[in-house]
Amino acid sequence: MIAEHNVTHAGSDPGELEEFTYDDQIVRYFAYATIGWGLIAFLVGLLIALQLGLWQLNFGLPWLTFGRLRPLHTNAAIFAFAGNAIFMGVYHSSQRLLKTRMFSDVLSRMHFWGWQLIIVSAAIMLPLGITQSKEYAELEWPIDIAITVVWVIFAVNFFGTIWKRRERHIYVAIWFYIATIVTVAVLHIVNSIELPYSFLRSYPVYAGVQDGLVQWWYGHNAVAFFLTTPFLGLMYYYIPKAANRPVYSYRLSIVHFWALIFIYIWAGPHHLLNTAMPEWAQTLGMIFSLMLWAPSWGGMINGLLTLRGAWQRLRTEPIIKFLVGAVTFYGMSTFEGPLLSIKAVNSLSHYTDWTIGHVHGGTLGWNGLLTFGILYYLVPKLWNTELYSKKLANVHFWLGITGTGVYMISLWVAGITQGLMWRGLTAEGKLMYPDFMETVTRIIPLYWVRALGGTMFIIGFCIMVYNLYKTMQSGRISEPQKHKARRLVSVTTLNASELGSKHRLLEGLPMVFTVLSVIAILVGSVIEIIPALVVQEFVPNDKKIKPYTALELAGRDIYVREGCYTCHSQQIRPMVSETLRYGKPSTIAESQYDRPFQWGSKRTGPDLARVGGKYPDMWHYRHMINPREIVPQSIMPNYPWLATANTDLDVISRKLQVMQTLGVPYSNDEVKQAKADALRQAEKIAAGLRAEGGVNDAELEQRELVALIAYLQRLGKNGGVE
Amino acid sequence: MADNTPHDPHVRRMDEILNEPVLDHEYDGIEELDNPLPGWWLMTFYGAIAFAVVYFTVHSIIGDNRLAERDYQQQWAAIEAQQAEQLAAQKAGLDPEALAAEVVSMAAAGKPIYDSRCAACHGGAGEGLIGPNLTDDSWIHGDGTAVPVYEVIRDGVNANGMPPWGALLSEDELKQVTGYVLSLQGSNPPNAKAPQGNKVN
Ligand code: HEC
Ligand code: HEC
Repeated sequence: MIAEHNVTHAGSDPGELEEFTYDDQIVRYFAYATIGWGLIAFLVGLLIALQLGLWQLNFGLPWLTFGRLRPLHTNAAIFAFAGNAIFMGVYHSSQRLLKTRMFSDVLSRMHFWGWQLIIVSAAIMLPLGITQSKEYAELEWPIDIAITVVWVIFAVNFFGTIWKRRERHIYVAIWFYIATIVTVAVLHIVNSIELPYSFLRSYPVYAGVQDGLVQWWYGHNAVAFFLTTPFLGLMYYYIPKAANRPVYSYRLSIVHFWALIFIYIWAGPHHLLNTAMPEWAQTLGMIFSLMLWAPSWGGMINGLLTLRGAWQRLRTEPIIKFLVGAVTFYGMSTFEGPLLSIKAVNSLSHYTDWTIGHVHGGTLGWNGLLTFGILYYLVPKLWNTELYSKKLANVHFWLGITGTGVYMISLWVAGITQGLMWRGLTAEGKLMYPDFMETVTRIIPLYWVRALGGTMFIIGFCIMVYNLYKTMQSGRISEPQKHKARRLVSVTTLNASELGSKHRLLEGLPMVFTVLSVIAILVGSVIEIIPALVVQEFVPNDKKIKPYTALELAGRDIYVREGCYTCHSQQIRPMVSETLRYGKPSTIAESQYDRPFQWGSKRTGPDLARVGGKYPDMWHYRHMINPREIVPQSIMPNYPWLATANTDLDVISRKLQVMQTLGVPYSNDEVKQAKADALRQAEKIAAGLRAEGGVNDAELEQRELVALIAYLQRLGKNGGVE
Repeated sequence: MADNTPHDPHVRRMDEILNEPVLDHEYDGIEELDNPLPGWWLMTFYGAIAFAVVYFTVHSIIGDNRLAERDYQQQWAAIEAQQAEQLAAQKAGLDPEALAAEVVSMAAAGKPIYDSRCAACHGGAGEGLIGPNLTDDSWIHGDGTAVPVYEVIRDGVNANGMPPWGALLSEDELKQVTGYVLSLQGSNPPNAKAPQGNKVN
């Protein structure tokens, strides 16, 4: 089959012989970006890890607080570091696998610079608190549009390259790239449908449980189709190339590819187990996660067993070490994932740091090590030289896996400790650790250990940067090499026996392949998402529950801006220990007006779903300015600026109007008088605070803190009806 | 799908190290072996699918999707019964005079508890801050004797921002801090908050 397109195996049915070069400059660009953004993503991660042990490390600056930097860290790690790594590998391997230069050098550059621009704007906006608070989809609507545009540019460039190819069949790596490109587009667009109320701000069209389900369908599949499928594609290229061994099993590639993309898309609801989301959706999330185990391991098996016959190189070749390490961590994470999706296990692990440990096994171990392996492979090739030092690469490898191991193990212990302490009951049926702070202080030493693991990982990374820098210095960028291959002849001229199996046929028809991939990922999406948007169970519209008042809504937006959801959940699960600690389980109706939903995913602080009325206004006033004045060992940041900044009430009418458009039952009068209503409510709260004494602020009612208190005091109260 | 016979026209040659069939695919020098799916792997896959089908059928098609809810309600009913029992026992067991004497004798041990748990709201010397002044002879709840003070500390006044301490402090600690609060009576600290509630003396 390949013969007629490969000059070295001159074939029977020759197309015209053509000469071409590959665009490696764009690969170098993406390599620089991967390294640069990687460093930033990791350092921000380290900073916020340290902040959990020592909150003062935000230096009293709003834009350095945990709630604002955590989204910056996750976005930088996923979209800047991993994203650029993917593009680097895709642009390098696709040209070779398809035997053609990229479709358009201009599109390649637009893709590169567009993506970097998006990252820079994210790096500015997230610390400023311009966020939608939906995890890994925090960026606001103008950037959402930019992402869509750049993604389309990438897609056109990529599919154009396939169209121009000189290789009849597309290799498994290309299958994974195709699945990535189409699915990320679907996920991003569906999850980002929002209605702007100002130049940089918007509300999502989905509310409460719908928003939750759509968001985690997206969030989970960001892991699947941004951190898994493209990296599997890279694995399929770089492992056989580096080891110079054939892929273990073509048939396994086929089965695990289709199983993986079909099943992955269903698993999102496992992020919402034991919440108010209808149980059947939870069950789907759980069983599909369990079924996902084997397809994931199919990738691991195919990666590892490709090294049969070359295992001795594991000892001598750092690149192989990194690739094998990465695939091993992939295997571990994809075993742990299904485990954490079992409802009973999840009831212990959810909201704890176990989840964070799990994620980093995947990101540091799988995405990180694989990217490093590829960089060690690519840089010497692209700079026409040898790696500067294998020894340093080995040191990096050991620091990398030890750091990742320390990170994961410390958070396993922390997470399980938290989980057990939260649920522990005495014989009398009381909480064994009723004081939440006890469960926080217990794990702080483990936060330090985690930070140590991260530090090792970063030191290793810096060693790599040095090593690659020296390599680049010693090499040179030469004129692009010329390649020759035959043009593709039309399929119809091939005889049937050359076509092979049905799947083989499909591999020669990339557009049909793409359509089938889209269908595979749409089945699960449609079955899970459509009911969420239309079935009564998801859209309760409980008239007893009142929409937020204007001031509460303003306060809620401050809560979102500050990223309180990065430490606080708002979702009480139906578990006895949670009722004892937080109150009765949350219901779907209670969040029916929540745009965006704030159920959260982690409890570094206590759940806030029913914090309303738990404490007097004055408690919150002082607690927000300095939590330690009330709870001496608290690790929550100080928020003194909330007591001096004024709430922006000029847009409040507009906000209510947008909400009204989205179906929230505000009357036209309420929309029109929103500002006056808000001020009236603020005056009442301010008067109460003044009466307590100790607050000397002539403009108290204007302050953001007053709006935030209005919001906090409303949580669980549902507007007075309960 | 290609079958695994040596006559397969799509097998190009045998791998020189492993002696396994190599397919006639080649992409940038990458070749693929024609190995079958590993049996144990296929078994785990089928196993997971079978489990998923059975679980979903039993749980969500035959079942009513209320399993977690029912479990929770059962467990919570048991806890509530336990709570009611404890409450009854507490109510019956509080002897005003014995308690008064007991808390006075334990007052000293209550200071550290007060400092860490109560001072944030009632002030370091009980002068009142977020919560009321505890040193005057006006009381919002009860008459300032041991039983009502003990009870308000134990049960809290959720609606008005006084947390219940019954779950956080042991019975002895509750008594100690009650004793300490009562010992503050008439201490006239500086910056005292104005009296609230009913004057009892
Ligand atoms: C770094 C994590 C972190 C962030 C970010 C954070 N908190 Fe907290 N929060 C905590 C911890 C830990 C506690 C428990 C100790 C305490 O009460 O201070 C807590 C407690 C609270 C409580 C008291 C809950 C109770 O039931 O006692 C409230 C209310 C609260 N936080 C509100 C907020 C708000 C509003 C924001 C955002 C402006 C926020 N927190 C941001 C960690 C955090
Ligand atoms: C979160 C703030 C807060 C904390 C902490 C707190 N209290 Fe209170 N406390 C209040 C408030 C507010 C009231 C008034 C309740 C009302 O108006 O019904 C109150 C009322 C009381 C009363 C009744 C006073 C009266 O006039 O009837 C006593 C006694 C009391 N607290 C003791 C304690 C003790 C002892 C502790 C520590 C174990 C404590 N409080 C911790 C806020 C607090």
